Amino acid sequence: MRKLILQYKQAWASLKKKPGFVLTVLMTMGITLGALLCVVTLNYLLLVEPLPYPEQERLFVAEHGLIGAKKETKAVAYTYPGLVHLYKSKQAFEQASMMMYGQDVIVSHSSQPLVNIAYVTPDLHQILASPMALGRMFEASEALDTNNPVAMLSYNTWMQEYNGSADILEKKISLSGVSYHIVGVLAEHFVEPELEIIGRKTQVWLPWDYNQAGKWQRQAFDNINGSLKFIGLLKQEVSQSQAQQLLTPLVNDRWQAGLPGDDDFFKGWTINMHVRSVKDRILGESESIAVMLLAGVVGLVLIACANISNLFMARTAEKQRQMAIQAAIGATKKHLFKAMFAETSLLMFMSIILALVLAQFGFYIMQQYLGAILPRVNELSLTPITFASAVLVTIIFALFFAKLSTRMINYRALNTTLQSSGKGSGLQVSKKTRQVLIASQVALATVLVFANFSLLKDAVKTINAPIGFATDNISTLILNFSSSDIPSQEEAKPIMAEIMEKLEALPQVESLAQGNSPLDGFWVRALTSVANNEKYTPFFKSVDHHYFNMIEQPILQGDNFTMAQRQDGANVMIVNQAFAKQLKADGDVLGMQISTGRPDSFKIIGIVKDITIPGDSPTDRDSSALGSGVPRVYVPNGLGGQSFMLKLKSGQTVSRKQLGTLLAEVDSRYSVFSFNAASAILTQTLFAEITTAVTTTVLASLVFLLAGIGLYGILSYGTQLRRFEIGARMAIGATRKHLITMIIGDNTKAVLAGFIGSIVLFALAYISLSEYIQPFLTWQVLPMVVATLVLIILVTLFACYWPLRQYINKAAIYSLRGSD
Amino acid sequence: MTDIKIEMNNIAKIFETDDVETHALKDVDIVIRAGEYVSIAGPSGCGKSTLLSLLGLLDMPSSGSYIIEGVDVSNLSLDEAAGIRNEKIGFVFQSFNLIDELSVFDNVALPLQYKKELPTDDFIKTRVEACLKMVEMSHRAGHKPNQLSGGQQQRIAIARALVADPAILLVDEPTGNLDSKSGDTVMAVLAELNKNGTTICMVTHDTRYADMANIQLKLLDGQIVKDELLKVAV
Repeated sequence: MRKLILQYKQAWASLKKKPGFVLTVLMTMGITLGALLCVVTLNYLLLVEPLPYPEQERLFVAEHGLIGAKKETKAVAYTYPGLVHLYKSKQAFEQASMMMYGQDVIVSHSSQPLVNIAYVTPDLHQILASPMALGRMFEASEALDTNNPVAMLSYNTWMQEYNGSADILEKKISLSGVSYHIVGVLAEHFVEPELEIIGRKTQVWLPWDYNQAGKWQRQAFDNINGSLKFIGLLKQEVSQSQAQQLLTPLVNDRWQAGLPGDDDFFKGWTINMHVRSVKDRILGESESIAVMLLAGVVGLVLIACANISNLFMARTAEKQRQMAIQAAIGATKKHLFKAMFAETSLLMFMSIILALVLAQFGFYIMQQYLGAILPRVNELSLTPITFASAVLVTIIFALFFAKLSTRMINYRALNTTLQSSGKGSGLQVSKKTRQVLIASQVALATVLVFANFSLLKDAVKTINAPIGFATDNISTLILNFSSSDIPSQEEAKPIMAEIMEKLEALPQVESLAQGNSPLDGFWVRALTSVANNEKYTPFFKSVDHHYFNMIEQPILQGDNFTMAQRQDGANVMIVNQAFAKQLKADGDVLGMQISTGRPDSFKIIGIVKDITIPGDSPTDRDSSALGSGVPRVYVPNGLGGQSFMLKLKSGQTVSRKQLGTLLAEVDSRYSVFSFNAASAILTQTLFAEITTAVTTTVLASLVFLLAGIGLYGILSYGTQLRRFEIGARMAIGATRKHLITMIIGDNTKAVLAGFIGSIVLFALAYISLSEYIQPFLTWQVLPMVVATLVLIILVTLFACYWPLRQYINKAAIYSLRGSD
Repeated sequence: MTDIKIEMNNIAKIFETDDVETHALKDVDIVIRAGEYVSIAGPSGCGKSTLLSLLGLLDMPSSGSYIIEGVDVSNLSLDEAAGIRNEKIGFVFQSFNLIDELSVFDNVALPLQYKKELPTDDFIKTRVEACLKMVEMSHRAGHKPNQLSGGQQQRIAIARALVADPAILLVDEPTGNLDSKSGDTVMAVLAELNKNGTTICMVTHDTRYADMANIQLKLLDGQIVKDELLKVAV
């Protein structure tokens, strides 16, 4: 033990003399291993760790797939009565819950916050065994059709909106005109299954009976709603496929029977129930993101490892004389290895401590910025897996670097070093080793830079894609109605007219339109061409006569809507170019009649230019519209709508509070549901792309930096070793051009080998991950390939020239000095 | 003896480090004519190697003029100096400075590859073989330098220095890294070359070998203190 302590003391003393070396190893390995621990923990959490619920292996969701006449999946979403029918049937599942997601304003709260709501049956929290901070979870008294107005709060809502008030269970909250008695607060460590949108956190839980579905929707088998979910514990004796077989006819038969008899739009359609594990549902496509992240970071670690190997080899060469003295006084090769291992393990220990700190910071960053892209990131923390990985990595790298360094030592030659008084060529990294290091650096850097470039290009392309409409100074105001006595359209008209009048009178407002911004308010509607009975499912939206002017979306043919058409509820329609082309190849659709399933069809009166909303894609994948724009249809809205677009004067702002006061003056039942700038909604829509762009830029820069440093290090070392040779060549007449060409030429082979290596790595990646890679393999990647190669070549050229310049830009004698 | 190969006038070399100026050479005047065998001797640190570096254009003087075969080379750019070294100077180092990765033949041929116009393969072959023959190393053409003894390596270095037919051969302590037997062999090669008309300037601290030259220069503290014509060159 004393011997071991002595060894580490000596290693520490030796390292203390080389602060630059220690710092470089610490920073390079600390940062890259920090990233590695982060993604290893993330991958373990997503791919291996069970969900934090009892009997999570029996926890399944049942998805409601609408299958078209050609057996294609039209949509995956429940009809309201279909879901209730499934819930009541109690088939296949031992216990199950219905869920509906929504948003609402807590009007009883002084700041009237807009909160995420989940309407659930009591079974959900029983299945999840949700831990409670206070009170109770929903029970039989809140089951279906009991209409018991109680609420549960999330821990954060309790803390943030109610300052952790101790008497919270004695309070009531009001939403949409209903007053709910708070019966429980979920524990801080409760993990909500992210079934709808990744990163969405429910703030208030309400009983199913109070969900936001209208009376019509509750009966309609021809209306689907994506926020309806079904989750439950599968019966012990029922397998996943058996459940599917059991549920499909049950739901399909009821759906077929429930469809309106006079509507043949769904003719030939069926329902297919897809039962999948909750873990699989939550994970979705995140698995590939997590694996890609892991691959990227492993590449980064390998580059860093090559860099540090290079440093350790140079250090071994530097310590040659010291080791020769040790050998002369009796140190065996094993002793030298132990001494080297003491140094490498100390360095790796310090690196891993830094890595753990950085990993903890990385978890925070991921929770802040990747919460909307990756599920379960809130569960990330330093776990036993993180620590086990850290220990493993420390041991492996310490052994690897020690072994690599001592492999360089020719123990017999070491004994003669002292005899020759330090003359001779000394301990050197062989040319072959240097060439292998260059090739591996180039191969890894090429693969990683290319992969990052491609991801970055796609993200930037989406971010910079012209959207085709203006968002500057435009905000959307959506009203909240805080009463269960919802006014009819006719009752709402004068109230909305007065609200609009007051909004227009605001000095900050330039213009006003009734309806949602282009970034929300679209829904999918089944339409039929009267002429040929063809069926379509374009995006559908109700707008007013100011809409197109305000967002600067050009009307290419025909007319805009008029106030009269809105007042009369005229059956007129404006379509976009994509839908026009879908209807008729030449796009000449003015005057065409389109049926919505109601007795009177709509007449197309105008064609507007296409717009691009990030994330939107054509719903009908068989349509000819695929590859062009997304088909969209606009109809005139009524005058009682509760959404408005405000175009503010340049540099002007309106606060939510100001709007709240204005609404209260007109009718105290109205408050602000949401008030968001269109540009902010757009940024939110592009969040995934922006995050991808930032992540890939950071990763690509890091890869490039590390690869650059690594290549420079190894080429610089190679050039340094050739100093006397360079001097000799200069002495016999080699010009700078000769020498630059020689160094570049000598390294070209290794760089080419690196490029070939990168092709091999790509081929291996393609073989194992073809389903993820194939979609990227188009001619469009060619510029990325060229850009990557150019970048790597430029770095290599720089790394060839820069270390050489100190010799070739001086008189030859400077390189030769000391050669004798 | 009127064919002047090298002429140095008032050459000085000052090394500056921080605020300290070291006068390595001052007021050095040298004239070397065709066919002469000049030795430069002196105690350690007297400036022998610095003088040879200046003669070989491996370094530039701080002041003074330097003319090789009528061409003023006192103020050349690095690439111009490289060109002159290639055309007019052959250099032999104490540590041989052969390139281990190249064969003996390729080492000798190397200066020809740095010519402005690359000679034909036939010319290179003929010239390299001739030079190897001069130093009696033809039989080692295919070997690598590390397969040869020190004396053999130095003879290869001499062949390399001769291959471009230089105006003068500059030799720096040619026996410094050799045993006495190998040293004698190398010196015999140099004497033979001089006999056949090669102009040689050699730095050595070995008086035995210095005496082989027909002109002996002695340096002390950066100045020539003795300029002795011993015998008439051929």
